[in-house]
Amino acid sequence: MENTEVVKPETLDELIKILHEIFESDHINVDEVKAVMEAYESNPQEWKQYAKFDKYRYTRNLVDEGNGKFNLIVLCWGEGHGSSIHDHTDSHCFMKMLQGELKETQFEWPDSKSQGDMVQKSQRILQENKVAYINDSIGLHRVENASHTEGAISLHLYSPPFQTCQTFDQRTGHRTTVKMTFWSKFGERTPFETTVSQENN
Amino acid sequence: MEIHEGAAAAGDSVLDFSRLNLNTFSADSVSDERKRDTKQLYLNNNRLASLPSSVSVFCNLEFLDISNNGLTAICEDITRLTRLKTLIAKNNRLDEFSLPKEFGSLQLEVLNFSGNRFEEIPLEFMKLLRLQSLSLGGNRLKSIPAEIENLTSLELLYLGGNLISAIPPEVANLPYLSYLVLCDNRIQSVPPQLTRLHSLRSLSLHNNLLTYLPREILSLVHLQELSLRGNPLVVRFVKEMTYDPPSLLELAGRTIKSRNIPYSPCDLPSNLLRYLDLASKCPNPKCAGVYFDSCVRHIKFVDFCGKYRLPLMHYLCSPECTSPCSSNPQSDAESEDESSVPADRLQRVLLG
Repeated sequence: MENTEVVKPETLDELIKILHEIFESDHINVDEVKAVMEAYESNPQEWKQYAKFDKYRYTRNLVDEGNGKFNLIVLCWGEGHGSSIHDHTDSHCFMKMLQGELKETQFEWPDSKSQGDMVQKSQRILQENKVAYINDSIGLHRVENASHTEGAISLHLYSPPFQTCQTFDQRTGHRTTVKMTFWSKFGERTPFETTVSQENN
Repeated sequence: MEIHEGAAAAGDSVLDFSRLNLNTFSADSVSDERKRDTKQLYLNNNRLASLPSSVSVFCNLEFLDISNNGLTAICEDITRLTRLKTLIAKNNRLDEFSLPKEFGSLQLEVLNFSGNRFEEIPLEFMKLLRLQSLSLGGNRLKSIPAEIENLTSLELLYLGGNLISAIPPEVANLPYLSYLVLCDNRIQSVPPQLTRLHSLRSLSLHNNLLTYLPREILSLVHLQELSLRGNPLVVRFVKEMTYDPPSLLELAGRTIKSRNIPYSPCDLPSNLLRYLDLASKCPNPKCAGVYFDSCVRHIKFVDFCGKYRLPLMHYLCSPECTSPCSSNPQSDAESEDESSVPADRLQRVLLG
């Protein structure tokens, strides 16, 4: 099948409803999820209450908990903000651009005894409304807003949900486990959750 | 020109004329009341080639967005907006010659000229004493003027995506600076004076030409974000360090200081007294040595959490002087004497 035919979600709420239905089943068709997320045309009115930016670093704003099957999160990246190289703790990761562009750089997993720079696999710019997919068997990635003039906003779906992941030092391949936190949940700022940044940049 | 329906609905003090393909902007159709009450004016994403003088009729204007036009100049009349606090002019064709003479008289707190063609930060900006946030990302800046220290209210300085090759130490004189962005430039070294930026929370240095950092960076107590990726940071211990052997004058001075040989003004000519006052203490805590001009630039690898190595540079009085805990100076996994740096601070500085 060349094109995965899907129902086009007309609004963000419809997208969430369709995702709930898709994730009822235990087996995930990655292409189906990608197609339905890509089919949703980003409308700022529908997600602006989740689009909370921070001056110093990117923010993670929880939109929906997917009945425990997935987390749907809006990420807001100020100019120049970027993430560590990280894994996805054995989960699926879908990332859709809602506004602006993000640069994704994929890396190979470092060897357990590797001492040198991590090996870059690929790099691409993700444009508005496009969806990228990654999981641990594909590799690791770093995501960053390379623009010095525009913020960027992305919609992420992680299934199953996870609270910790590993971050990697690009120059040595060394890894640490970090805890992930939310800047806001369901449109409400959740300040006491935020800890000191554990990004490796 | 009709008032855009959206503009009226947005609220009494907001006028939205963005994304209307405007070539010109005249405020003729705006009521006098509206002219007085408008605090925020959006003119972004149009086709204005120059900032129209008509904006000056909005005498109480506090926020003006003229981004994404084709602006090549900003009119003198903008200086009549005495209440203007925020000016956003991203993605235009402005440079340091585009500004009106008295631009520095504005009471601006936030200024964003990112995505323009500035080759220099104009000195007019240095008169904006209330400026808290200055963004000049994505321009063609080659340097940062020392006069930047005049902007004593500055909290955010975004200079990413330029052609800057050095950071003037005067940046360290900005007492409230909390966010300093210098990524995507051509910076080869970081002045150790930056250690004085006690309020610094986030320092962005990725994609530059740094091979090491000054040891003093460890003193940035509140630093929570540090980006270093995309720099040619030294990963192996560098054995060959340049070292000019000390002169006889220096050797004599070192002996006097390290052995506490007493002397008084009547013993020595004044030039030698001044020289002796210039002695610097060797940063090695276990070494009581001093140096004057001749010192070794030593790159040491500081190990954090046993995992990350940050190449820091400091000055030692001689090649034989080494850190107290490194028994083998050739090792490329030397550890910092951890009692000298609090553990919680170690964990916060993340390396890449």
